[in-house]
Amino acid sequence: MSEELEARLKAALRPVDPGADFTARVVAAAGSATEHSRARRRRFASFALAASVLLVVLGAYGWRERQQEAGLAAREAVLRALRMTGEKLDLASRLVNAAPAAPATADPDPGA
Amino acid sequence: MPTTESFEPEQLLAAARAGRREGFAGLVRLHQARVFGLALRMLLDRFLAEDLSQEVFLQLHRSIGSIESPRHLVFWLRQVTTRRAIDRLRHERRVSTVPLEENLGLVAPEPPADPALGREIGALIERLPAAARAVVLLRYQEDLDPVDIAQTLGMPVNTVKSHLKRSLALLRAQLSAVAPVETVGEA
Repeated sequence: MSEELEARLKAALRPVDPGADFTARVVAAAGSATEHSRARRRRFASFALAASVLLVVLGAYGWRERQQEAGLAAREAVLRALRMTGEKLDLASRLVNAAPAAPATADPDPGA
Repeated sequence: MPTTESFEPEQLLAAARAGRREGFAGLVRLHQARVFGLALRMLLDRFLAEDLSQEVFLQLHRSIGSIESPRHLVFWLRQVTTRRAIDRLRHERRVSTVPLEENLGLVAPEPPADPALGREIGALIERLPAAARAVVLLRYQEDLDPVDIAQTLGMPVNTVKSHLKRSLALLRAQLSAVAPVETVGEA
């Protein structure tokens, strides 16, 4: 390629200024994008905080429910045990009361 | 607060990396003609070129922490601008026959020595396919050699040379009809 044609191409293809206010527009858009990004991060942080609080509340509620269920089950077991114990004691008491009285023992050696 | 008007590119980059608005504005001022020129000659539409240039600088604003040096910045700007422009052209399959320099009200830093020839070259370059146009622009607007063009566009060096050879043959043939060019050889 001749130097002349190269020179012509370079002369024809020089950088092009986009206009006086281009820089200001780009900088404003960058600032706006940054602010938008910050707002989005703030919204995300708020959402994450709300979600965390909800999880904690739900977790506490679930834990309380499980504790109540466990308490009820334990109470039921104690009542069952007491009922069984009562039944056994009642049975033993009836057996004791139903047994015939033993005859008085005769003195084998009255003269001694 | 000191003004950034007299800052060197390294200082502008450091200021921008530190989050200073003036530093970023200085970088935009320094490189906007390069970016807009590439975008405009690729997309052939002033509005689309401004939009693309703004996108490139906004992406730079987000990625400024990864830019290591002024040289890296120039490479990054060329690469992002040309690749985004090629992507847009492939996506939109846009074809324009509007003479670029004549009808878009371009403001070049200095007018070409021969405005008619400049317009003709601009119009001929518009007819090149997107990738070939990017190669020619990087070669003659940005003054890159084929190896640097290959790195910028992510294509093999031989493909770059092939694009250059075919594009120059086309330009030479069509320019000779407008203004005779002296004996030409290969690039």
